[in-house]
Amino acid sequence: MKNLKNIFLAFLTIVLPILASAQYCNTFHTKYCPPSDNGMYTLNGQSKSALFSKGQTSELNVIVYKGQDYRISLCFDQTLGSQITFKVYETKKVKVEKVIETKTMEDEYQKDENGELAVDEWGAYIPTGNQVEVVNKETITVVEKQKTLLYDNSQDGFATELEFSVETTRRLIFEVSIPGSASGSATKSKLMKSSDMGCVGILVEHMLTPIQGFKGTGF
Amino acid sequence: MKKRNILVVTLLAVSPYLMYTSCSDDKPQEDVNVEQVEEVVKERNESFYQIPAPDEMFSFIKNSGLTYNKSLINSPQKSSTYSTPMEQTLIFGVYSADLAYTASYEEFNESIKYFATVQKLAESIGISGAFNEELMNNIKNNLDKPEQLLANSNDSYFSVIEYLEENEQGNKLGIIASAGWIETVYIVANSIDYKKNSDALQRLADQKLTLDNLMLYLEKYGEDENVKELMVWLKELEQTFDALSEENTTSSGISLKKNEGGKMVLGGGSSVVMTKDQFTTVKSKINEIRAKIVK
Repeated sequence: MKNLKNIFLAFLTIVLPILASAQYCNTFHTKYCPPSDNGMYTLNGQSKSALFSKGQTSELNVIVYKGQDYRISLCFDQTLGSQITFKVYETKKVKVEKVIETKTMEDEYQKDENGELAVDEWGAYIPTGNQVEVVNKETITVVEKQKTLLYDNSQDGFATELEFSVETTRRLIFEVSIPGSASGSATKSKLMKSSDMGCVGILVEHMLTPIQGFKGTGF
Repeated sequence: MKKRNILVVTLLAVSPYLMYTSCSDDKPQEDVNVEQVEEVVKERNESFYQIPAPDEMFSFIKNSGLTYNKSLINSPQKSSTYSTPMEQTLIFGVYSADLAYTASYEEFNESIKYFATVQKLAESIGISGAFNEELMNNIKNNLDKPEQLLANSNDSYFSVIEYLEENEQGNKLGIIASAGWIETVYIVANSIDYKKNSDALQRLADQKLTLDNLMLYLEKYGEDENVKELMVWLKELEQTFDALSEENTTSSGISLKKNEGGKMVLGGGSSVVMTKDQFTTVKSKINEIRAKIVK
């Protein structure tokens, strides 16, 4: 009984700090990702923070709308290193025609001297008693996910900010990769040290694309 | 074996204290212990699917010149007629979108009513914790500032998302986000006439892409009976959106590069196109789904 009580207390002692760190991660982007100085930008609801470990790659799928400017700001715990890879992909569903081959074994029938299928007195085809492999081809349309790389911060000095205007609405993937690998033993790949983990935040801000130049009929 | 388990548990129990005290003047041997203790975490290569909040749409359509139409939103007086948890969760999403709509158009008195309705429903569906003291004080202090309406509306929406994520209620968040999105699309579809190339029509057509994200988000919680039911409705809408074609806007493919002015621009590639018949079909389907929610 005393042991059970000790285990329960120990369990509480473990779980509470982990829960606390998970909650800390949830709002990481609002606390640690620097917002734009431009007052026109507003917080976008697609911002997200999560707990990452070394060697992990995760993706955030977002929608960016035509006619808006976006600013993406990345922030992360120092435990994860100083060079975190941030890539932007466009993702879209594309319809692709595929030829599906199916092989079946079918009865072989006798042929006459002209190469036509021979028939008996009842008009039925005459089996040879052998079977032959028949290949059937069917064309079907499938929907595939296509990814196109648009930006890689490793080609941009590991920049942690990206600002752009959108001319056509797109589904984008923000992919974050933490360098290194978890230092847990190979046999315990799902176990890792606290020092291998940290929070990553992606702050997304948006505004209507400012109209440049003079607008109106003019005189 | 039992002794070994207790030893492991004890080591794990001690570790958080060691972590928090590692910056103090403790002896170095204790830091070594920190590195020896391992925490169990899930394998975490994940994909997250996000849905734009309703305000993003309403700010845009207001800017496009569409006028406010009170008859399109669900009356707060009906809020007490929704009794089951699923009905209340769905209608919470609807009222959240209506709040964003009234706030975007700076309809001060209406916004106050919708805010009170959303807050009351939050209690019914067990997420009143999202409306914490700091948020409530902030809203109360800004009640006389119409220009703060949208910020207040957004703060409460984001607070709900944060609360549900923290409490691992992704299924409930999915239902609320879906209902909010349905209400948003309903308001836009019923605010415009078919006019080829209009900005608002294009934004409506673009919801084909948003619906993709929404469905992928909901699939994660597909085991939940309520989510399953909602996905059946949305699948029908997805089929109508799937009929919309995508046409290339330029001869070049999509790119994210600097323009002549040095500004990064995401351009090229394809754009969703909606015909008049497709507009009518989408509008009809969204009206049908919305009617199932608001009743």
